[in-house]
Amino acid sequence: MSYSGLANPKPKFGLDEKIIISKRGSQGHCRTPAYIRGKAGRIERYCGNFRNPEQLAENIKDADIIPLYRCVFNQHDIWDNYNGPKTDTLEIEIYEHWIERS
Amino acid sequence: MPHDSLKMGPHDVGGESSQTIDTHDHGMTYWEKFSNGLRMAVSSTGIIKLDELRLVAEGFGEAYFEMEYFQRNGLALVALYKKKSLFSETEFQLELDNQKKNFKVPIIDLPNPKELVHLHDGVAHTHKGADFQEDEFGEGPPDFYFDMLATAAILKNKKIISQSDIQSRIEKFDSVFPFRGISVVTKAWVDADFRERLLRDAKSAIKDMGIDLESFADIICFAQSEETHHMVVCTLCSCYPRTLLGMPPSWYKSRSYRSRVVHEPRAVLEEFGIIIPASREVKVHDSNADMRYLILPQRPEGTNGWSEEALSKLISRDHLVGVGVPDNVI
Repeated sequence: MSYSGLANPKPKFGLDEKIIISKRGSQGHCRTPAYIRGKAGRIERYCGNFRNPEQLAENIKDADIIPLYRCVFNQHDIWDNYNGPKTDTLEIEIYEHWIERS
Repeated sequence: MPHDSLKMGPHDVGGESSQTIDTHDHGMTYWEKFSNGLRMAVSSTGIIKLDELRLVAEGFGEAYFEMEYFQRNGLALVALYKKKSLFSETEFQLELDNQKKNFKVPIIDLPNPKELVHLHDGVAHTHKGADFQEDEFGEGPPDFYFDMLATAAILKNKKIISQSDIQSRIEKFDSVFPFRGISVVTKAWVDADFRERLLRDAKSAIKDMGIDLESFADIICFAQSEETHHMVVCTLCSCYPRTLLGMPPSWYKSRSYRSRVVHEPRAVLEEFGIIIPASREVKVHDSNADMRYLILPQRPEGTNGWSEEALSKLISRDHLVGVGVPDNVI
């Protein structure tokens, strides 16, 4: 369930905004797969605010409530050797602290 | 692969080269259904969180893909309970021994033929002590099942869950959940207003049908069209709208499907028997976080005036994940 309320952060990124997924390592549990780190795409939609899964996995009390987005990428921008038309895309959910402005 | 150094562990498989996908669904044994029911019952208590369970499973290292899906998730549950000291190792071992006793039957000690009458309909059961228990392939339970039984027994003693909590989930996974997604699709096919609401806000449109998804996750519905073919994967584990579609099929949880869909979706679709023209975009949804996905197939041609019940016969679960499309009726 998403969380809405005054205490929640407002989403930093807007619809269709060009973004890059952070290219950094991670410790513990994380929902940002390696293959998408460092890749350039854009915001498809803002999904609402959710508890940070990296903290939930460590059973941290009152884990941060953070914006989640769906990001869209051209397949050719993810894979050097993608075997398909230029129009093929991939969409994935990314929490805000993994997203950078391009 | 250039991103190899960023891989989080053996579960982070998106983009790997992998083998051909076994596209048959192998179903579930009773032991697997029990483990799943237990896990769902425990999850609903809120004592442990899904992400905690995922972290434990990811920590299995090389053993991650050596274990079957239900074994991996079942043993993660047990490990997490111990880690959180919700029961002690001694307590667990004691209960494990108890559970194993129930299954100790000498293999050559076949039942007395005179007692076989209890297998027939209408005749009262006379199970005494240790009946031999087997699955549909004539095999006894795998080792991890005893861990599941022991966990269930301890949690029942502690009044954290009840037998019926587990049983009701086994039944819903068998006979309720797998039919919900299909009923949503047929309604969208016959009711343009509902279709529009489903695509705009699937969770509330489904709720308005009287379906309680009992799930934290939001649902997003995408419609297949002449312009776009949608398909769903979860590269990190096997996120799936279980209370809407039932349990994910075995291939959805497989390393090969999870690895390949993101980087060669068209080749994967061909293995499932569908070829998407190059003029149509293939859009892959990696269901990796808090959203869950329902794919709305195009209504087959030749079905004008059909009832929802008749239409439902044309739909399979694969269509709702995007690895199949319903045939036109000629």
